[in-house]
Amino acid sequence: MIRTNELTKRFGGITATGDVDFELGDELTSLIGPNGAGKTTFFNLLTGALEPTEGTIEFNDDGEWIDITDRNTYETAQLGIHRSYQITNVFPTVSVLENVRIAAQAHGENSLRFWRNVDAFDRHYTEAEAILDRVDLLEKADVAAENLSHGEKRQLEVGIALAGDPDVLLLDEPNAGVSSEGIDKVKTIIEDVATDHAVLLVEHNMDIVMDVSDRIVVLNQGEVIADDDPENIRGNPDVQEAYLGGYEAGDLDAARRRTEEDRSTADGGGVA
Amino acid sequence: MSSEKTTRGPAWLGQYLRDHILLIAIVAIFVAYPFLYGFLTNQFGIVAAMILPETRTMLTILALGLFAMSFDFVSGYTGYLSFGHAAFFGIGAYFVVMGFNGQIPLVPAELPFMLLLVLGGLVAAVAAFLIGLISFRLSGVYFAMITLGISEVLYVISNNWDYITPGSSDPSDGVAAGAPSDVGFFEPVLGIPFVDPLNAKVGPFGDETLLGFDFGDPEIVSYFLIGAAVLLCYLAMKRIIHSPFGKVMIAIRENEERARAIGYNTFRYKMGAFMISAFFGAIAGGLLVAYVGTIDPQNSFFFLVTGFALVAAIIGGLGTLAGPFFGYIFLEGVREFLAREGSGGGLQPFLEQTLPGGVLNINLGGLTINEALDAFMTGHGEFYAGIIFVLFVLYIPIGLLGTLRQRLGTDSVAKYVSRRVADRFGSSGSQPAE
Repeated sequence: MIRTNELTKRFGGITATGDVDFELGDELTSLIGPNGAGKTTFFNLLTGALEPTEGTIEFNDDGEWIDITDRNTYETAQLGIHRSYQITNVFPTVSVLENVRIAAQAHGENSLRFWRNVDAFDRHYTEAEAILDRVDLLEKADVAAENLSHGEKRQLEVGIALAGDPDVLLLDEPNAGVSSEGIDKVKTIIEDVATDHAVLLVEHNMDIVMDVSDRIVVLNQGEVIADDDPENIRGNPDVQEAYLGGYEAGDLDAARRRTEEDRSTADGGGVA
Repeated sequence: MSSEKTTRGPAWLGQYLRDHILLIAIVAIFVAYPFLYGFLTNQFGIVAAMILPETRTMLTILALGLFAMSFDFVSGYTGYLSFGHAAFFGIGAYFVVMGFNGQIPLVPAELPFMLLLVLGGLVAAVAAFLIGLISFRLSGVYFAMITLGISEVLYVISNNWDYITPGSSDPSDGVAAGAPSDVGFFEPVLGIPFVDPLNAKVGPFGDETLLGFDFGDPEIVSYFLIGAAVLLCYLAMKRIIHSPFGKVMIAIRENEERARAIGYNTFRYKMGAFMISAFFGAIAGGLLVAYVGTIDPQNSFFFLVTGFALVAAIIGGLGTLAGPFFGYIFLEGVREFLAREGSGGGLQPFLEQTLPGGVLNINLGGLTINEALDAFMTGHGEFYAGIIFVLFVLYIPIGLLGTLRQRLGTDSVAKYVSRRVADRFGSSGSQPAE
């Protein structure tokens, strides 16, 4: 669906993304790596929010590869590359339904219509309602987005990205900050959207990554150090060295326990 | 969606009237106002004159209220504060005057007023496009400063460029339509083109009859026609706000980065909104000229003209469209009431005329009451308006209409009223759209 060729982004002397050759197929691929590995930078490059220093990005538009290196965010979105954000980034004072509806309206020519009431464009409402149903927010349709709980806002993040029938979904930590009870819901949503979209997922929760991914790409200091299926990633010593900070082989489970302990400490620390 | 058959008229008409009860009621109040003013001042004399603005004052309020709405159209809905919005008001006003005087290249002198009005609006839209090319590269306070800077440049030009005033008078004193000796009188005809009964001459010496009614006062005819033009502009802006385009404007205000990320070329929409608001801002300027016939820099390009629109928008509620209009009426009402401005009524003349002479001459530590009234009230309207503005920002930051919406728990007071009326009088079947 989308591929990069020696993609590089430098900020001054720091190489945030270095020579990344990557191709996303019609599958659920997870992008993992320690903090600062360049995951979000990679997303920003793919969507055109950042301009690469070197290298190219191509997108498969109905079987034909086109160069999208110089496209900006609204152009990549129009092509069908949508993203969700690590930090919730919605339209706060309008309703949940309108958040998704305005995203659905972005596709097609209707947005320049200024003389007809928006209610006349039924299909955007129909699409938005179907998406809200999918991300389990239908009963919150009339609530202002700012009044949602944090977990619901994460669901809405994915909902906005789904609108307009994208080909590629880039999900940037859809679980960020979600309580342990809420995580299952978001995980179900991720698995569901992966059935009909190519998904690139950034995720810190190893349970989810191991569980849902068809393939895992590991970034470290801007470079791809491993690209394989979950089982092989689990046993890859380079990954453990880089990502887990020198844990013994086979100790991913220990790392998982560690993150869970962190989480329970955080939960117990009075964070509601 | 109702298909009920009535013998009294088409169903959509009934539905339309039901959905717009509040609008119709407010328009009815405005239509009745000149007569109410006459009646009340006859009945209650100076008490009514103290509270109510004169019809002539209402004329300028209508035009400047429209300007405040056009300011809100871009500032309240896209979130880009158009701090130099006075530029468009000035362009509209000066275009009508200078166009009529034949001073604008390619525009023959003495064109019909309606044509000048619309052309002025289009010129303002083009100006907005050029300003937008520069200023939309920036956001927040920088956008506001660029637009303000450009309008100040126009202010300085309008103050100093001799070309504006044919003959020898100082451009800073303003310019009158029909001033050069080789142009005729400025007799602006406002109305629907080619429909004669719906046209009349506006101005202090304009027509006294409209639709066959003789109102005996050109002020009232002007008030109706300018009011109708303002209403039309309001409905047009409201229609745009409720369109798909308008929803994109709101999305930009809410979160421009995300609006881009979901596929909107936000520059295009911001520019469109800016041009539309400039168009209506210029119409407001032209309508003011229609009545007064002259324009000067202080009342057009000066930054306080934007300032008052901003204050009116905040008092009425930013992003509510109708709010700034009522905010402007409120603001002017306060200024008129608390301080003698021009010839209007207000508290001071009321006190001067009703308090016995003995009371007025009581000495309060070196000042008689009469002198105190003069010192604190004459010409200090802005001072009191300023205090009220500060109170609004502190305690009612979402403005009058914003607060009303919040209290009623609705995003449209008009729909709320329609629903309540329908509930109470058991209107058959058809529900207003949510």
